[in-house]
Amino acid sequence: MSDTAVTPEAEPGTGAAAPKPGRHREATLNHALAGAGAGDGRSLAELRQAARGIYDTVPLPVWRRSGFWTTTLRDLDLEALHVPEHPVGKTPAIVSETLAGKPTAGLLVQRGGSVVHTDLSEELAARGVILCSLEQAAAEHRELFERYYLSRLTIDRHRLEAANAALWTGGAFLYVPPGVIVEDPFAIAYVIDEPGTAQYAHTLAIGDRGAEFRLQEYDLAPDFEGTALHAGAFELYLRDGARCRLAHFQDWGTGGVHDVSTHFVGVGRDAYCHWLPAILGGHLTRQHLELAVSEPGGDMAFRGVFFTERDEHLDEFAVDLHETGPSSGDVHWRGAATGESRASFEGLIQIDPGAQQTHTYLQIHTMMLSPKAKVDAIPSVLVSSHDVSASHGGTVGELDESAIFYMQSRGLDRPSAVRVIVEGFFEPLIGQLDDEHLEELIRTRIAAKLERARGDIESYARNR
Amino acid sequence: MADLEIANLHVRTEDREILRGVDLKIDRGEIHALMGPNGSGKSTLANTLMGHPAYEITEGTITFRGEDISEAEPHERARAGLFLAFQYPVSIPGVSVANFLRMAINAKREEPIQVKEFRTQLQHAIELLDVDRSFTSRHLNDGFSGGEKKRAEILQMAMLQPDIAILDETDSGLDIDALRVVAEGVQRLHDEQGLGALIITHYQRILHYVQPQFVHILMDGRIVLEGGVELVERLEREGYDQIRQEYGAADALDVAGA
Repeated sequence: MSDTAVTPEAEPGTGAAAPKPGRHREATLNHALAGAGAGDGRSLAELRQAARGIYDTVPLPVWRRSGFWTTTLRDLDLEALHVPEHPVGKTPAIVSETLAGKPTAGLLVQRGGSVVHTDLSEELAARGVILCSLEQAAAEHRELFERYYLSRLTIDRHRLEAANAALWTGGAFLYVPPGVIVEDPFAIAYVIDEPGTAQYAHTLAIGDRGAEFRLQEYDLAPDFEGTALHAGAFELYLRDGARCRLAHFQDWGTGGVHDVSTHFVGVGRDAYCHWLPAILGGHLTRQHLELAVSEPGGDMAFRGVFFTERDEHLDEFAVDLHETGPSSGDVHWRGAATGESRASFEGLIQIDPGAQQTHTYLQIHTMMLSPKAKVDAIPSVLVSSHDVSASHGGTVGELDESAIFYMQSRGLDRPSAVRVIVEGFFEPLIGQLDDEHLEELIRTRIAAKLERARGDIESYARNR
Repeated sequence: MADLEIANLHVRTEDREILRGVDLKIDRGEIHALMGPNGSGKSTLANTLMGHPAYEITEGTITFRGEDISEAEPHERARAGLFLAFQYPVSIPGVSVANFLRMAINAKREEPIQVKEFRTQLQHAIELLDVDRSFTSRHLNDGFSGGEKKRAEILQMAMLQPDIAILDETDSGLDIDALRVVAEGVQRLHDEQGLGALIITHYQRILHYVQPQFVHILMDGRIVLEGGVELVERLEREGYDQIRQEYGAADALDVAGA
């Protein structure tokens, strides 16, 4: 394909800028998956074997881009990690606490390397809904599994992607049959509860024609000392007319969890996905999140929030991919950073050749709450069709002292005023989740982060 | 001792001295008007009274109900019973008017306000300010018109029930209908709750709807003339220039003697 680059200076609303042959994005080595996945008719065993070959021969990945940004896994020793196994039974406390009081249509919990809990109402099972481990799906729902597994995800871009494809255990499989509408969310939880864990997690979800449902993945760890790895893969395919509200809630706590994951959502004909990743904690996180409108009429809202603290390192690459038109997209991310944390968010709009009548907008807003925190927000646009509009915008902000004074004059102390501002900053995204429990969960985590960063925020204000 | 006493107040910002010895006493139940031309220091006084960090008090004191609050944090002054209606209210995205009001009320209290009590108060304030019920679910000042912002200021004042409110050019930029609603709101809070107010204004218009008992004229960082409502009429006839000519000389003498 012939990529033509539109520089990040493209004005919002100007539509497709004139192609500038020979110019390429310079900032980054990140690319969309944008193509067929590894699952090309090979059996699971063959795919595992192929991935194993790659895993055994390539080094750990390093991600770089200009602007002095590097994500390395240098303090990750794969040899020192193992995949812990657990018997089916008790749900880890962190899951019960996180999901307390939440109505769900079904719940699947993986602890370390094993699925320890699965439940799905009989009523939904009778209507053909499947929620089970991916291992079980590979054995018992082979036709569905082979049709969708790795149909868009690759196995050879880097060592941990290969590791996931070669070594995944447990895993989650969700199938919502044609026309089935489910109100309560399906919840899938991946838990790491001991240092030294390597978790190769893989979720495969399918919304068949006209299905409507919610899916939420929770990535959770209690605070611990030591290193762990979550190498995750997530794939969701929405068939014609399917609608899904998808959310990822990630909080790996204060332990040394390295999260290197690839998430792909494919939106079919006239289908719709509202996807909100909430990345709220992790020692090192590198995620490739790709939302692709694959067939005409697809529509999506790709919303995300992140909040880094302490010395966390976050590297997000989010792709809004339009493979065909007409289609529309709306990408809106908001992030904040305290402590000495580093966050890089790169958002890419890619409109493939022939994806005419695509309209999409990408906006990134960030807020620095500490003098030593660093947030980079990099929008980029790759357009290969002419009858489209693609634009982006964003803000990089600090706390607004006039707003703080205003609220103080009404009796709120400074920390409360800061909290109101930061919560208000995230609210346009959180308030649209249409899930009170999840909204409150995210708000509570953000409030806790602000409480921990109190001293940080105070000294920042005094020194300006 | 008056509820709010300002004594020999000198205030500077980074680059210059703005207030040069202001004295003022305001009690609950009194309505004062502070008038002055642009650049005389009106907004500086308002912001200093509320504790804005950009203004430094170099001399003099602010005493509120017997306590020196010159060094107090803005939120402490608010909780003690002072209120500032801003000339340019700041928008607070993501927070509804109602939620913000509840937070502000609870900041003053030990126990959070009961839902029912809050609703009753809010309903009363809404009627007073002649705003639509949906107004309170909008994000505070976010996308508000000039008039809506000023109504929101007075709505907050009505809910927070301060002892003394400073209204910093609340009348500027208002059309006559909005001005009347805002001014009558202040008058009613005075009549019903015994509010004391310092109405800071450049113009005389608002004083047709709120009757001040005391009028002070501020020029070049000092109060140069004080009196009753007759001062407003004089100002209307003569304008600031006449008064400046009369008092500018005395002012200069004073400075030379200091």
